[in-house]
Amino acid sequence: MSKFLKALSLGVSIAALPVVAGAAFAGDAAQGEKVFKKCRACHAVGEGAKHKVGPELNDVFGRTAGSIDGFKYSKAMIAAGNEGLVWDETTMATYLEKPKAMIKGTKMAFAGLKKDDDVANVIAYLATFSSAAAAKEEEQSSAAPAADAETQTASADQPAAPVSATRDGGVFGLGREALPEEIAAWDIDIRPDGAGLPVGSGTVADGEVLYTDNCAVCHGDFGEGVGRWPVLAGGHDTLADERPEKTIGSYWPYLSTVYDYVRRAMPYGNARSLSDDDVYALTAYLLYLNDIVDDEDFELSNENFTDIRLPNEENFFFDDRDEEPHYAQKGEPCMSDCKADAVKITQRARILDVTPGSVDDDQAAAGGGVD
Amino acid sequence: MSDKTVSQSPNLSRRSLLKAGLATGVAAGAVGTARAGGDPLITEIQDWNRYLGEGVQARPYGMPSEYEAHVVRRDVEWLTASTESSINFTPLHELDGIITPNGICFERHHGGIAEINPADHRLMINGLVDTPLVFTMEDLKRFPRENRVYFLECAANSGMEWRGSQLNGCQYTHGMVHCVVYTGVPLKLLLEEAGIKTNAKWVMPEGADASAMTRSIPMEKALDDCLVAFKMNGEALRPEQGYPLRMVVPGWEGNMWVKWLRRIEVGDEPWHQREETSKYTDLLENGKARRFTWVMDPKSVITNPSPQAPISHGKGPLVISGVAWSGNGRITRVDVSLDGGRNWKTARIDGPSLPKAMHRFYLDIDWDGSDLLLQSRAMDEHGYYQPTKNELRVSRGENSIYHNNGIQTWHVKADGTVENVEVS
Repeated sequence: MSKFLKALSLGVSIAALPVVAGAAFAGDAAQGEKVFKKCRACHAVGEGAKHKVGPELNDVFGRTAGSIDGFKYSKAMIAAGNEGLVWDETTMATYLEKPKAMIKGTKMAFAGLKKDDDVANVIAYLATFSSAAAAKEEEQSSAAPAADAETQTASADQPAAPVSATRDGGVFGLGREALPEEIAAWDIDIRPDGAGLPVGSGTVADGEVLYTDNCAVCHGDFGEGVGRWPVLAGGHDTLADERPEKTIGSYWPYLSTVYDYVRRAMPYGNARSLSDDDVYALTAYLLYLNDIVDDEDFELSNENFTDIRLPNEENFFFDDRDEEPHYAQKGEPCMSDCKADAVKITQRARILDVTPGSVDDDQAAAGGGVD
Repeated sequence: MSDKTVSQSPNLSRRSLLKAGLATGVAAGAVGTARAGGDPLITEIQDWNRYLGEGVQARPYGMPSEYEAHVVRRDVEWLTASTESSINFTPLHELDGIITPNGICFERHHGGIAEINPADHRLMINGLVDTPLVFTMEDLKRFPRENRVYFLECAANSGMEWRGSQLNGCQYTHGMVHCVVYTGVPLKLLLEEAGIKTNAKWVMPEGADASAMTRSIPMEKALDDCLVAFKMNGEALRPEQGYPLRMVVPGWEGNMWVKWLRRIEVGDEPWHQREETSKYTDLLENGKARRFTWVMDPKSVITNPSPQAPISHGKGPLVISGVAWSGNGRITRVDVSLDGGRNWKTARIDGPSLPKAMHRFYLDIDWDGSDLLLQSRAMDEHGYYQPTKNELRVSRGENSIYHNNGIQTWHVKADGTVENVEVS
């Protein structure tokens, strides 16, 4: 940085100092955007943001808790608002550290952000979508160039892209041997025969607590599913019905898939945050919700895991589409007079028109889906 | 025109698009007959003919004309609980030829778009191999590579239509498909580099995204034509298509083409992961379900005219255009019916005919202005041809969700508008 620039930015900083000192949002909004990925499964923010599992967060600062129209808050949140809770940096920070400690009964299942920096940063990020905060942000931004310049200089020193090296062996001698600890970090898959199961255990009762905190917000208290989130329990003997309900108990062939999937991808938006024992406990609780075990003291472990079979295992079979009549008889398709009578229209899309932009597309979901 | 007052918005609704199309039709009619004094667009000097336009580097990465702003991927909000695990659709009715431009290839994510610096990306091969390996992107680019054109279709494409016609537009009924040229390393070379053990029968690609997507693939396919790709249509994969690295599993359902590919495990049994048990299995009417239904069957759709692309020019010469593809190989023939499947004419396939790639077909007709029930029926080199939707329902019921390759019917009305219908 030139002396002139330094002097200039210093001058600006000093001029802005009294305001900056009073500014509420000290975190780094760019870092906060990354932290917000943990929130995004349930909260939208920014242009066009709508309510999801949680309320949209535009203009959250300066807003009375539980006050936004069109979102069904917990009674606890509405009560907090009635008692005068308004979201600002301090109240939001307290809430985000441990939501249930501040508002007992909040619907927000998120356990909280453990790092103070994460809290400050995500608040700074949310502040960029709040007009009440914008005034302060704007005043503060005059001081920003100095900081930006520092960051840019620093980023130039980032480590270079890893180069390629050759090794002995192989056809081309490319790549390097994977270390056992690297394989252990990534290779977490489980097979129906139990291959890959880690040592550990968890009970139905432990699983219930974990489920309530981490899963119920989307999957419902009893695995019944909230809105269009997946239903996890029930649906027995519905697979041949007009509207089958495909759950772990009614449809999934193998329990190993439950353990594998929860461990790799759940909770949605905070993957890999559960311990191996947590996953055993949650899997045990899902068996309980599906009436496959009925004892709250039941403990699932790597020892007894493969003893448990899901009821629908036998009802899967390998692809045999080739044998369907319309494929079995390959050959020349009909080219003329293929139907005896003039063709009639039997169904029109406009009857249940759910095309985006059509009048009642939000009434939709008449059938099918991408599942 | 220098002030560029263009009102076209990317959020135009289908209905307003439809109206716009018809309005254009009227205007076009006016052009057809010369007006007294001549067309001012010809007789008067236009701004773009007089003043200089923007210079080079005004658009360092070129984008489509502002008049094409409506040509975008679109989604159906009610389909899924959250946009991070959802799908949108390729605007097939706006495209021609066989290649889909990168920016409008449909997206399907299960945990949002992973944003990965290629310098931070690794590909591991482990399991039943002689030497488990880790590759950087630089390593991968030192292997011999191939260029191949393939379609990618989501197994759930047309899945919303099992119970009957529901969505008005081929973007929504058939838009979970795209076709690009991939550049990548044959998976076979990478597996050989690690050395496959004799009991190895399956591989499992895994993604680096928040869903850590996994699918089991039989070794035979892995050694046949799978690629580990880093380019699409000549440039780096788009983030939403798996940048910096993805699996290419030609002709097989899109879910297996794992994006943000970070690991390939080699094993002796399939893993029965969530996406091949709870999802992507085909529930039949009797309550039993098919699994490992990998191949995408022959399929086609007429893209123009279609509900989002009505006929705006009235009767006379009409180009009927569409696309066809099959996971079994090349499309050998596409037949088109104007009367709901009573009589068929063989369409003209134009452009490259490559195995497991999109094919473009045309039928050029003289439209008399009467109602049409348009259908297309693709046939592949395996001898399979598309069944009717009712034939599929007889075999499978209505709860399969996946692999609906039934023949699509469009009702073209005398005014040129088009509706998604089913016929007797």
